[in-house]
This record gives sequence, C-alpha cells and structure tokens, in this order.
Amino acid sequence: MLRSLSLALILGLATWALWPRDAAAPEANGIAPSSGRNRKYTLRFAPGLYMPDRRPMDLGTPLQGLKKVAAAFERLYPDTHIEFTEAPVGSREYLVTQLAADQAPEILNVNVEDVWQDVQKGWYVGLDKYLEQPNPFVPKGQPGSRQWWDQFKYEALSRGKAAPDGKMYCLTFDMVETGIFYNKDIFRTLGLKEPKDWPEFMAAQEKIQKAGLIPLLLGNVEVADWGMDLIFDQVYGELLPGMNLHKDPVREETLAGYLDWDEIAFLYGKGFFTRRDPRFVETFRILKEWRRYWPKAMVTDYVKQFVTQKAAMWWSGSWTVNRLMRDPDVTFDWGVFYLPPIPRVSCRFADGHQQVVIGGAGTQFEVTKTAFNDTHDPATSVKLKRAIAFLQDLTLPQNTDRVVNEIVAFLPNIVGTEPNPSLMPFHEFLKRPCSKTKWLYTFDLRFNEIYRRMLELFLNDGISEDEFLTWMESNLRTASETVVRRKNLDLSKFESAWEANAVLRARFRELPSGP
Amino acid sequence: MARKFSGKDSSLVMYAMLTPTFGLLAVFSLVPFLWAFATSFYDYEVGGESKFIGLANYVEYLHDPTLFSSFGNMFFLMCFGLMVVTTAPLIIAKLIFSLRSERARYLYRVLFLIPIVVPGVAGMMIWQGMIYGDSGFLNELLRSIGRDDLTRGWLTDPRTVMWAIVFMGFPFAGGINILIYYAGLAGISESVHEAAELDGARGIRKFLRIDVPLVLSQIKLLTILTVIGTVQGFEGMFILTKGGPGFKTMVPGLWMYMNAFSFQRMGYACAIGVILFLLILTLTILNMRYLRSSEELTAESA
Repeated sequence: MLRSLSLALILGLATWALWPRDAAAPEANGIAPSSGRNRKYTLRFAPGLYMPDRRPMDLGTPLQGLKKVAAAFERLYPDTHIEFTEAPVGSREYLVTQLAADQAPEILNVNVEDVWQDVQKGWYVGLDKYLEQPNPFVPKGQPGSRQWWDQFKYEALSRGKAAPDGKMYCLTFDMVETGIFYNKDIFRTLGLKEPKDWPEFMAAQEKIQKAGLIPLLLGNVEVADWGMDLIFDQVYGELLPGMNLHKDPVREETLAGYLDWDEIAFLYGKGFFTRRDPRFVETFRILKEWRRYWPKAMVTDYVKQFVTQKAAMWWSGSWTVNRLMRDPDVTFDWGVFYLPPIPRVSCRFADGHQQVVIGGAGTQFEVTKTAFNDTHDPATSVKLKRAIAFLQDLTLPQNTDRVVNEIVAFLPNIVGTEPNPSLMPFHEFLKRPCSKTKWLYTFDLRFNEIYRRMLELFLNDGISEDEFLTWMESNLRTASETVVRRKNLDLSKFESAWEANAVLRARFRELPSGP
Repeated sequence: MARKFSGKDSSLVMYAMLTPTFGLLAVFSLVPFLWAFATSFYDYEVGGESKFIGLANYVEYLHDPTLFSSFGNMFFLMCFGLMVVTTAPLIIAKLIFSLRSERARYLYRVLFLIPIVVPGVAGMMIWQGMIYGDSGFLNELLRSIGRDDLTRGWLTDPRTVMWAIVFMGFPFAGGINILIYYAGLAGISESVHEAAELDGARGIRKFLRIDVPLVLSQIKLLTILTVIGTVQGFEGMFILTKGGPGFKTMVPGLWMYMNAFSFQRMGYACAIGVILFLLILTLTILNMRYLRSSEELTAESA
C-alpha cells in the first residue's frame, strides 16, 4: 500500500514538474483576460497569421498586438466579446461545411477568390456600403472621415478585389507580394548580379546549377499560381487589349483589361487557350524550359534548403523576410529582386515589358452571414454593426501598426502606417500594374485541381506536351460549361465587343484558328 | 411473483431491444444511402439550389477524365492487396504455428500484433517522412552508395509513386490477419495432420495440400474485406499524395470525396458513391458464389 502511494506521489510530482509553463499567460503579459460571459455579442474572429499568443513561423515572441486592440474595443463596447479562433480557412471542406451550417466565425481571413465561388449563396456580407461611408473612429479631416475607402493606402489594388458581380466582400488589411530571395554570398562567389532580363536570369541559374547548388526553389502550387500568371502576362501582353471584352465600370478602373471567367470562356470558344493558340503552347514551353532549375521533388523543405545554403534563390512571399531576419541559422547576406521580364529574343510573342505584380492583397477579412444571426436581417442586426465597428477600429493607423508591424511579413494597407523598412523592396514592387488574370482562381475548384495536377505532371515529365494540352482543353471546356450553367451567363453579349476589338488584333500574327 | 414470458412476449421484447439499434442504423446508414441515391439525380451544390438532371451525373462520370486511371489504380491496388493478404500473413501464421514452444508461439503472436496499436495514419506519415522523404532512408541509402542520380521524390515521381504506395507497410507482416490465419490453422484437427503425415505429406507439400484448403474460410473472409476496403478506401492516398502527381494515384473514392467536399458537387459525388456501392455488391456476390470456403470444400470431399 505504502509503495503504491509513494509511486503515485512520485508520478504526481514529476507531472507537476514537467507541466509546460505558458510564457504568454495573460497574467504574464499584463493584458487582462476577457471573457464572453455577460456579453451579449460574441464575435469569433479567425485572424490568420496575427493570431494572438502564437509565434508565427515559430520565431520571435508570442503575438499580442491584436489582443490589445480587441481588449480596447471591448472596453468601448461592453456588450461585445472578441473571441479569437484558429480556422483552417485554406481547407475548402471547412469553409463549406461551416458556412452552410451557419457556424463559421463572424470574421474570416480567406483569399477572396475563394469567396467569389460562393457569393451567390449569401454566405458573405457585401462591404461596399460600409466602405463608402465614413469610418466613425477617424477624427474629422483625416483619411477615412469622408469614406472608409480613403484609409486604404493601396486603394487601387484593394478595389481590384471586387468580385465578378461588382461587389466587395473583403477588407484588404495588408499587402503581400512575391519576390526572388537570393543568397548574396553565393552570387558574389559565382560573380553573379541581380538579373535584369530573362536571358540573364536563365544564365545565372545555369551557372548556379553547375556549381552544384539548387538554382531556384519553387513549389508546385506557386508555379501554377504565380508562375503561370506572370508568364501568361509576358506572352499575351501585347495582345491582351484585343482580348479584353468586358468593361466593368468599377473593376476596369483598377484592373484594366482583367480577364474574368466569362471572358475566358468566350475566348476559349474562339480557339484561345487551346493547342491551336501558339501563345498558350509557348507559355507552357517557357515553364517547362525553366523547370530544370527547380528541385527534383517540388515539395521539399524549402526553408531548410535556403537557410542551409543548398539553394541560391527562392521565389517566395514577403512573409519570408520575417524568417530570414529572425532565424539564427541565417548567417549569410540576402537580398530580393522581382522576376525579370522576357524579351523578344527569348520568346517571339513577348515584348519585354515590365513584369506585373500578382495581386497584392495579403490578409483579406470577410464578414460572414453568422454576423447577423442575432436578427437574421443585416439591416437590423446589432451584432453585424459591432463586427463592422471592430474592423473600422482595427484599421485605425495606430491599431494597424500594432498588429501588422508586430511581425515583418506584410505591408500595412492603411494610410499613416509605414511598413517595416525591410519590406520596402516589396513596396516598390507593388507600384507595378496588376496581373491580367489568375488562372488558379478563375474557374471552379475542379478546374484548379485538374490544372494544377496536370501541370505538375507535365513539368515532371509524367506526360507529354500533347497529353497535357489535351487535358487543359477538356478541363477548360468543362469549366466554361459549368460557369455558364451555374452563373446563368450569356456569352453572346461579347460578340459585339469581339468584333469591335478586331482592329486591335489585326496587327498580330499566329492568332488561334477559330473554334 | 415473476411471470414467465410467453414466446410472443419474448419476441416483442427482442423486437423492442432491436428497435433502438435498428433506428440508429437507419438514421445514420440506410437513410443517408437512400438520400445519396436520390441526390445522384440532382445538380446539387452545398448552399445552392438543386436541380433535377436525371442520369446526367452518371453520364458525366462515364466521360470523367479520371475514370479509367482511377479505376485502373483501384484494381491494381486490389490485386496487390489480395496477393499480399493471401501470402505474407498466412506464411507467418504457419511459421508461428509450427513453433514447438507454446511460450514462443504466444510471444511471437504478441510481437506481430503490436504494430496494430500504431494508428494507420501515423504509420503512413512515418513512411512518408522516414522512408520516402527527401532525406529519408531510401535516398540516404542511395547517396551512401554513390548513386545520387537515383534519388528522387518517391511519392512525387510519376514513375515510382504507385510502387511506393503499395510497398508501404513492407514486409506486410504485422496486424490482425496473422491472428485470423492462426485461428484457422489452430482449428485444423490434429488427426488430419497425423493422417497427412502417414500419407507422406510434409513441409511445403503438406502446407499447400492440407493447411491452405482448410483455411479457405479465412482466405475468403480476408478477400472480401480486402476488396471492400480497396473500393471504399482512399485515406492513404488522401494523406500521402492526394491522388497525385497528376492522377497517378487517384482512386474513385478520393475523387468522390473531392467532388463532394472540395468542389461542392454533391450530386456528382453521390453518383460516384452509388457506382462504387454497386461495384462492391457485385464483387461480394461473385466472391460468395465462386470462392469456396473450407466447409464447402470439406462437404464436397465427403
């Protein structure tokens, strides 16, 4: 009996001694714990990278900025509680089931292109009317006191996130852009400089490979997303005005010439984006030619490869700055440049124009229909008013600074909040025009899945170019038919614009040979 | 005074006791099946409007670009699974059964059973990282013998991915299958063994002529379970490759799941589900009809 008791005591003491101490416990950081009890409205908020008490990328100290902003808001509105939650918003299964069941957090951070797929279902709250009104938290005379929109620093890019139905479903809180991170030490050793155009870029990669290093780290999803969009813009750049059919008064202002799903579906009917379209074939030829400089397995641990200096370049997003600045294992000098342009000498369709940016919007907050489930009517819902008020409060310069600049990943999108100096190269990149379409997000998810998989297989020599183009054609046909059926589109309305654009296309050769 | 139940009362009690179980079965299995069958005739997107489209989902599936590759993969996995389930565990069960020491037999049974405490998903993740990873066992082994050129992403290379999947779990020795075969072998009467030995049957000959026919019931059971498991199962592919690269490891079950929850094409997914149900039903009927059990074999011999 005594032996058993002693054993139990030892086990108990050992458990107590080994129990993890939470460094971010509320009492340790001086922020009073807030409770949802006795508060009428609870707003669940999935803030993505800014989740309080987490260490993004397992670096630095646990984040506190958003918690402080929420605590101040709760003091202002004693009937409201902000509850932070981690939501796997990248998982379609999660989004669909939670939104369909009216269980989704009131404020989500989802790529708005995913939201566009579901806007006709009424799952998200349109934010236009709020954005066009003053932000009540902004003092008179300051940006935002006339209309909330005026607070957004990259207003054109933010407005460009309007859905194809013309409405705005997201609030672009910060900006993100990609860049080619490079190891300056390796470049110096090999006598390389930042490449100014595509031939220089390819030559640099060749030299790095010959030195026994991985020239460029690039994953499957990134090539299907960023790679395709940028190469597509370079190859089609000159012809795009002759392909632009839809002049949306709202979106055209900021996204001039952007090709939406209905335009792509129409153009597909005219033979574009098929094997009969030499530009389309050329786009994939360039990607395939480039492929030899990427890692064998395109799902490898890129952080490790770059940090241990096994790779000289890494195409990644601005969030990588946070890692490279704070990781103690990064002992080399690094820099970042944007993907260089493709001149005519590398591709007969390219004109060497400056590469565009891919999108810009980083954290995109959406308000879901759960936000008005107190009255089930957005017009009378106090809870929805609180959700909007919280976002308005969050976009005050001092609050944005507190949240966004707590890590060095994204650039604040609010006037009066400066980015971390290490992110300034990305600020410069963002002055460029926007890409003219987003292949990975234009059509439904079935299209994305097939496109991404077959591109990966093609790039990894799993299928021939001919087989790949067959897949792409059949995939585009199904996607076009689906989008026309589901959105009740009438593509015949583009016929007159198509005819009117004939003059813009007249000077080009090697146009697709019709349906 | 306790009243004795009449036969009728007893039946009523049994029915009453069965009702909750049957009710739950109906709610969670039968009704969803009927709902899925009905939904397969609709263009139904979660949260959207549904529209009756008759057999259009079935016709579309016949033209689905993944149809042939996914069914091909499924039958390949089924054949490999059947080959494995009818050989490795049976041989190991026989080896354990042949040990003289009862203590050793018990110990080996336990040792071979222990791997089942590791969740299947964890086992797959171990293989994914430790064996097939960039710095996994296979690639490091190749590097150590100077064959760097042969290293690859075993689960991302279209030429190796399917073999990498089927060899996961090699040498296929752990698990409950060994116990099922062991139970079958233990059920063979000692007199049968003695008679066979008197007739001069020993070693492999005895194993093939006596043991294998008398564990046919177990082989039949495991065959049916493997067939059903392969048609229904997709969790391995989902975790390891998501059916890729391309559609090199896609199986119909995974495509059904993706259509339902990723693409929100619930009606289409239900149509795939109904087709898989019919396939399982057909294969099980064929199994039951044409694969003989040891009892049937014994009856025929008598």
